[in-house]
Amino acid sequence: MIRLDKERLKRSRVFYFLLTVFIFAVIGFLIYSMKSLILPTIIGALIAYICIPILDSLKRKGLSTAPSVLVILGSLFLIVFFSGKQIVQVIPDEKDQYELRVELRYKLNEMFLDIMEKETFGSEGNLLSSLVGEELYPVVEKINQFLSLSKPERNYLYEFNFENPSDSVRKEIFTYLKELDKLPFAEKISTTNQNILTEKGHELDFPDTKATIFLDAVSTWIVLPFVFIFLLIDDGRIKRFIISLVPNRYFEMALTTFDNVDDAIGNYLRGTLLQSSLVGLTFIVGLVLIGFKVDASILIGLVAGISNAIPFLGPVIGLGVGLTYALIADNVTPLIPFMGSEDVVIGVFIVVLIAQGLDNSIFQPLVLGKAVDLHPLIVILGVTGGSIIYGFIGMLFAIPTIVIIKVIISTFYKQLKAYYIIY
Amino acid sequence: MTEIEMQSESESKSKSRVNTFWGNIFSSNKDGEDTSHFELLKDVPLFSNLKRRELKAITNQFYKRKFESGEHVFETGQPGAAMFIVIEGEISIIAKRNNKNIELAKLGKGEFFGELALLDNSPRSADAIATRDTYALAIFREDLNKLMITLPLIGGKIIKKLAIIIGMRLKATNEMLSRKNENSKEMVDD
Repeated sequence: MIRLDKERLKRSRVFYFLLTVFIFAVIGFLIYSMKSLILPTIIGALIAYICIPILDSLKRKGLSTAPSVLVILGSLFLIVFFSGKQIVQVIPDEKDQYELRVELRYKLNEMFLDIMEKETFGSEGNLLSSLVGEELYPVVEKINQFLSLSKPERNYLYEFNFENPSDSVRKEIFTYLKELDKLPFAEKISTTNQNILTEKGHELDFPDTKATIFLDAVSTWIVLPFVFIFLLIDDGRIKRFIISLVPNRYFEMALTTFDNVDDAIGNYLRGTLLQSSLVGLTFIVGLVLIGFKVDASILIGLVAGISNAIPFLGPVIGLGVGLTYALIADNVTPLIPFMGSEDVVIGVFIVVLIAQGLDNSIFQPLVLGKAVDLHPLIVILGVTGGSIIYGFIGMLFAIPTIVIIKVIISTFYKQLKAYYIIY
Repeated sequence: MTEIEMQSESESKSKSRVNTFWGNIFSSNKDGEDTSHFELLKDVPLFSNLKRRELKAITNQFYKRKFESGEHVFETGQPGAAMFIVIEGEISIIAKRNNKNIELAKLGKGEFFGELALLDNSPRSADAIATRDTYALAIFREDLNKLMITLPLIGGKIIKKLAIIIGMRLKATNEMLSRKNENSKEMVDD
């Protein structure tokens, strides 16, 4: 009898082992096949996580779960719709981007020549030019190469100009373009562009319109609102399911671990959101004060706020975007009395310094405390690794992911000790 | 305990270890049985002051667990996190004094234990062991704390009733102690 039981136990072990391997293989295959859905799912889950206190406060006011979720979803939809509408108006489309690249390239070259006190790239300059001119020249050439337009892009811009010949801004752009063609390295850049096109194996037919970009995004990101709704409406069912799988011996420990991790992650995510919002707001106020247009300030503030979640690199991105706008912005009239329109670049530097100073001395200690006590090396490796795997979005989510993993492991370890499961 | 008994006990433990995870997945006894929870919970003294509607609103806060005969629900010294209500079966509360096991109580259907864990995470003062296959409902302290935020009226009623029950139990313990004291004094006098 005992022998039979032993064989049955052995068969059970083999069966459950194979079942586990099979289930993991299926899950792994599904995750790999649907990897484009991972990011929208994570973001949907994070937004849901951040909204949990709002859901709780609506419930406290007497609304049940479903109507509360509807209220939150409706509010979020309205916010995204109206702010999205504003942002889309400010974000340059493909054609505007070409114009911006031409304008930025022209103004950067002009600025370089001004600083070096040169008439043209070939002429003699001041002392600075003779000291570092040779070293800076390749950098300027690289920037020109980066900003230059390919042949189809130029053609598109020309065609558009023929359709709208009266537009004065575009006339200015073509003056810039003609001037840029006179540069000593213009031919080199044009050859490089041709090579890039040949490598790609196809030419640019026509630029993506806002509609095609929107449709592409919808097909992948449609999953986000569903993840958001089902996680909020779930009412603890996922947690109960996971807890139901835990053996009795670990039941109370699992409950406590789940709760501690839930609290820590929730606080961290809400704290990061608040911190980023405050940094973004500081940018907006600062940039408006130094004379940027309100819509441009909001867009730059938004980019700076979001990228602030990336340690070290975030402030650089904010500074870069601010400086780029400062270079191409026309008719800047600062609201600060003693500031002139030529001081706008210094103004951007000051705004970034103030925002970072406030962030490090007030926002971060106040909002996050010591919740994210990560070693700087881990932060750098995490951000770099994130950028390799998922680009900018990867950098953005690298630190939250590391913090979540750290919180889970440390809480789990503490609870295992508290329940005498390990020494 | 004979060798065969020990062997069969260890096999039953490994059997339960092998089956727990997948057994829990395939088990038909999931937490969805709110209606049966409701029928049982309305007779539990802790929830006796809740209205039908209020009790129904919190039935999804409970975790249903199955304990096999001889299995620990919790052990002395572990931090308490949940209170348990017996649905079926029997639980023995055992305190260890001078290396001796003293059975403090035997609890059956509808009775609850580990209620102090709803107040804080202080260590358990006794063991709780299933004396036969037992089903119990557990409510987690932090879920009750969250209930105080989302449904404060219901949470408040439960906490108030909990305070009354703990007070009554303390009173009963005090009376028992003073009776014991009187008895021992009488014995000394005699």
